[in-house]
Parts: sequence; structure tokens; C-alpha cells
Amino acid sequence: MTEEQQLKLQAFLDGELPEDETREIISLITRDEEAKALHAELKNTRRAIKSSEANVRLPEPREFFWSKIEREIQKLEPVVESKPSVSFFDQLRRLLVPMSAAAVVVIAGFIAYQQMLPVHSTETEMAMADSSAFTYHDYSAGMTLVWLPFPAENDLAQNSAPATIQ
Amino acid sequence: MAEINYSSADDTVLVRAAQKEDMGAFEELVARHRDKVFARALSMMRHEQEAIDLSQEAWVKGWQRLKQFQGDSSFSTWMTRIVINLCLDQLRKQKRRHMESIEAMSEESGGVERQMPAVTVNPTERLERGELRQRIDRGLERLSHEHRTVLVLHEFEEMDYKGIAKAMDCSIGTVMSRLFYARRKLAAVLADLKREM
Repeated sequence: MTEEQQLKLQAFLDGELPEDETREIISLITRDEEAKALHAELKNTRRAIKSSEANVRLPEPREFFWSKIEREIQKLEPVVESKPSVSFFDQLRRLLVPMSAAAVVVIAGFIAYQQMLPVHSTETEMAMADSSAFTYHDYSAGMTLVWLPFPAENDLAQNSAPATIQ
Repeated sequence: MAEINYSSADDTVLVRAAQKEDMGAFEELVARHRDKVFARALSMMRHEQEAIDLSQEAWVKGWQRLKQFQGDSSFSTWMTRIVINLCLDQLRKQKRRHMESIEAMSEESGGVERQMPAVTVNPTERLERGELRQRIDRGLERLSHEHRTVLVLHEFEEMDYKGIAKAMDCSIGTVMSRLFYARRKLAAVLADLKREM
């Protein structure tokens, strides 16, 4: 018998041989004495093994064995149920509302800040304390010009180079 | 909770009660199936104290996982699977390599067992039960843990080749070879034939 035939014979005994090969093995067992003997040996060994566990007994009294198990069980920490895992999209959805609220606050604040900022254009204003003084602001250039009347207004009219303050 | 007569209740009732943390019900299940779980551990480990310790550990694990038991198999089968997995873990840790390498070499070379003539005497007829068990124990001890595991999973757990291959992370061909080798080795021991390793 070949090694392959031996393993097929075992598979046949174990009910694991495909149907198309079963007929070949049955024929082999019928006509070949060696195959027949091997089949019988495997069958007897299998029966003997199965019967061997029948009378095995745990060599400790019931109460003693149970007391050890019970002690170990009582030592166990209570099982904390793990939270079910949350998908990425669920997490994103949960963050969406607070993120949106924060964005609205930021945008509103920005708009308010923008409104508080002085207009970036040239602006003139009259200094109220002295009706002759004249102030000129240029925010874009970062420049403020102040005309102050000199004692001689005529001089001012003629020499009107302004003092610049930046 | 209604009072249960533990000793007369069937396993399904006891399991359901134990799943609700009825320790009395679980104790009854332990009493009923402790011998089978121990026998399975002993077949795997071939060492009584190790088998007792692993059985105990299996019962504690069984309690922890009880809510996962759905009734797809019998409760005793579910428990024996737990103890087998514990035994496999333990055997891997113990690294009984020297025995396995001899067995592996023997298997690779074709093995004496593959070539020996068939044993024609039926050991269950010839030997008394006690002597038969002793011979089987001796035979199992001579096997590597991988050969022994295949035998235990097939003969006692009644797993098919595919299930064993998955449990042992090997091919179906390897399962078949190991099973054949283990059976022939045992047959030789049962027939009291002297073989040199």
C-alpha cells in the first residue's frame, strides 16, 4: 500500500473521504489483505481510545474542588462592559454642533470687531478746543497731520507747510 | 427567582440560572462535568496535577464567559473546548521541543509505524479495562503534544479534519498524517510490541 492509500483508508474510516474515492478504497479493502488488516487495526484502536476516558475521575473531593473555584471567582474584578466603539462619522456628527456654534461666535465676533475698527480712509476732524486747529488723519498711511495756528495767521496763510506727525 | 432543584434540573436550566449569577446552579454544573473536563485535560497534559490546575482554571473561565454560551453545542463540549485551549497554551509555553523534534523526524522519514504490519489483535477484547487504560496512557505519553492533541481533538472532541486543522493552525494533510502516526503508535503499544524511538 502506498502512503496515500493508507491516508485515504483512514479518511474512509473517519467518514472524511470524498464519495468518488470511497468506491476505490472499499474495493482495495475487499481485495487486499494488508489494507483489510490496516482498516481493522485503525478501527480497533479508535474504539480502544474512546473507551479509555470513560472511568477517569477527578482525584479531589467535590467540595474541595468547588471551594477553589469559588474563591477564584470571588477574586474576579467586576466585568466592566466596554463601551461600544463609535464610528468616525458618529464622532464627527457629535462634534458638528459645538463646532458650528463656535464658528458662529467667531464670525460674529469678527464682524463686531470689524465694525469697531476705524474706517481705513482719510478723515478730517476739527479739534474742538481750538477752532483754528485742523487735524488730518490718514489711517491707511498711518499719518496724522495737525495744523496749528501760529500767532500770526497771516504767516500761516502764507507759509502753510504743515508739521507732520506720524 | 423560582427555587430550582439543582440535582434534578437539566443542564439548560442550570446554565440559564448560572448566567443570572446563580452560583448554586454553576456548582451543580461543575459537579456534573468536572470528571469529563479533567479527563480531557489529563489526556492532553499527561500530568495529574497540571490537569487538575487547568481544569480549575477552565471552570473559572467558564464562569466568566457563561453569558457567551448560546447552546450551539452541549455545555460539557463547550467546557472541554475551553480546557483544551488552556492545555494548548500551556503546552506551547512549556516547549517540549526535544520530544517533538524526534517525532517530527520520525514522521518525515516515513516513520516505522507507517511501515509496520497491521496489528490484528483487538485490544478491547484481549485486555481488561484497567490494563487497556494503562496501555493507552503509556501510548499517549509517548506521543508529542501535537500528535496527542490531534488524537484528543478527533477521538474525544469528535472534531473533523478541517476543524482540527483550524484549531492547530496546520494543513488538513498534516492533521491526517499526525492522526495516522498517533493511531499506529498506540496500536503498537496496545499490542505490547517493543519499538525503538
